Amino acid sequence: MLKKLTMAASVATLALFSAPAVQAQDTVAVIVKATTSEYWQTVFKGAEQAGKELNIKIEELGTPKDDAAGQIAVLEGAAGKKPSAIVISPTIFEALGDPVAAVTKAGIPVIIIDSGAKTDKFASFLTTDNVAGGKAAADAMATCIKERTGKAAGKVAFITAMAGHESLDSRDKGFKDGIAAYPDLKIVGNRVANNEEAEGMSLTADMLTKDADLAGIFADNAQMGTGAGTSISEKKLGAKLCLVAFDADKGEVEHLNDGSIYAVIVQDPFMMGYAGVWDGYAAAHGVRLPKNVDTGVGAVTKANMNDPAFAGLMDVTKRKMSPYTGN
Amino acid sequence: MKSNFLGALFQRLPVETYVVTFTVVLWIALSITAPNFLTGDNISNMMRQVSISGIIAIGVLCTIIIAGIDLSVGSVAAFCGVFAAQLLSHGYGIPISMVLALLTGVFIGALNAVAVGKLGIPAFIVTLAGLQVYRGFALLISGGMTVGGLPPDIKLFARGTVFGIPNLFLTMIVIGICVHYILGFTCTGRYLYALGSNSEAARRQGIPVFRITMVAYVLSSGLTALAGILLVSRLSIASPSMANAYELQAIAAAVVGGASLFGGRGTVLGAVAGAILFTTMSNGAVLLDIDPFWEMVLEGLLIALVVYLDNLQKKRLSGL
Repeated sequence: MLKKLTMAASVATLALFSAPAVQAQDTVAVIVKATTSEYWQTVFKGAEQAGKELNIKIEELGTPKDDAAGQIAVLEGAAGKKPSAIVISPTIFEALGDPVAAVTKAGIPVIIIDSGAKTDKFASFLTTDNVAGGKAAADAMATCIKERTGKAAGKVAFITAMAGHESLDSRDKGFKDGIAAYPDLKIVGNRVANNEEAEGMSLTADMLTKDADLAGIFADNAQMGTGAGTSISEKKLGAKLCLVAFDADKGEVEHLNDGSIYAVIVQDPFMMGYAGVWDGYAAAHGVRLPKNVDTGVGAVTKANMNDPAFAGLMDVTKRKMSPYTGN
Repeated sequence: MKSNFLGALFQRLPVETYVVTFTVVLWIALSITAPNFLTGDNISNMMRQVSISGIIAIGVLCTIIIAGIDLSVGSVAAFCGVFAAQLLSHGYGIPISMVLALLTGVFIGALNAVAVGKLGIPAFIVTLAGLQVYRGFALLISGGMTVGGLPPDIKLFARGTVFGIPNLFLTMIVIGICVHYILGFTCTGRYLYALGSNSEAARRQGIPVFRITMVAYVLSSGLTALAGILLVSRLSIASPSMANAYELQAIAAAVVGGASLFGGRGTVLGAVAGAILFTTMSNGAVLLDIDPFWEMVLEGLLIALVVYLDNLQKKRLSGL
């Protein structure tokens, strides 16, 4: 998965050296879904890193919270300033399709990251497969239950952070499909929260009151993972219950360390921002890019969290980016 | 106006009657239908769950009584919580961090009171602006990231109990008793209700309107800051997204508990009972495995029903 991406980047790098006279300073606008989340801040960090390496200006834009209409306005505003390229993560698939196509038509290359838009008028699409992430969560949970009881059997449940979000729905779908592959694992509950940690905590406690014999819980984003992890740690159930959560923010990493979370499913938001900017810059200078690139997901447990391959995913400050630029 | 024994009884019912009745009925129904509802563990869970929203509801109630409102509480809780956590992670001790975060809350309340009382900006607008501003500050001082790595002692308070009763719940009870005392047994309390019932009359009677406005908003933001700190203790991290939409929960709890958005009416007991009612509903919804989407619908309908019944009583009171 990562290979394809690296290839795209090397193509881009090669192209840069042969590129004709470049204008004084390029600007790449990076537009995220919600500037208030750690995930998107990590995307910005990746974009900044690429900006530093390329010596170009990065404009970090987006709406504070998921807001498709607001994001369209931000996109149009950014396009009006004629940047070299735009990197965007569309908030709603249907709504951002035409605006993205319009920007492409105006001659600004668009790199889409994380979630899709309903159009084929873009330069490249770098994404995590959320369904695959959900499946990975189901597999990690089954492994954990098997490790502890000798058999992948029992009751499991999942917590959805918010209703009606495409990426969360895909993760949940992947999880349900994944669990279906284990005939003795049965999903007995699903609760929907308001994307707030304390609520994830309460829901976890209440689900354990309902089914004291729950073998596993899947939390489908960082807020729910932190909340569920805190509840498990408070009840000292980490050794018994297999909690698997999406993303890896500081709260989740703490609970991975104290054993309350068995595994976190990590995406690579840093890479999305980093490669998004590189690819945008390359596209602006005439490089043709692969249409779809998977930035990958992986399950990280306490056992492998310090592996160099995962350390940078868990903590941005440990991220090393050498293969791209060779310096 | 028809008057009979039942009517007279209705008039004498305290404002919390409906919310308390609903809560008791719901508790009885859940004890019968959900086998794990009336267990020590579950009650203790619910006590922890209700405390933080209960404390915020008590604060917001004070602004509702003077016919104001405080929409900024969710953001203020997040901001003060993140601020306390940042201080902690930079090595300031727990006492200093807590006191500074609390003072920040008090200062925010004072700012709100000046904007409402001196500048004459409607409370709705002032605190709606605050809802944005303080969420923004929470994000700024955290860089949009979760603040972790706090001293392990921070969890102790939220996890501790006294005679089996969670510290968080005891905190809410102590605060409830204090605010109940202020509202019911002091001059300041009488002035708060008087200001809410008729601000013009209150002014003419020489009630220190600005000072009373200050009391209401400082109580609201100060208690919210405390709730934010407790939230950090409960989560052992602070995140700029925490306490999202708590303002609506708090207002709903106060209003379901008999407070009137037109001012002059509302009690601590009612607000706390309202918070308990909502916590019980979400707890019951999980135990009975009610579809989460239906749960939202039912909660909304419940607010409408309780306030409707409450209004019926008010109409009887005013003889309509």
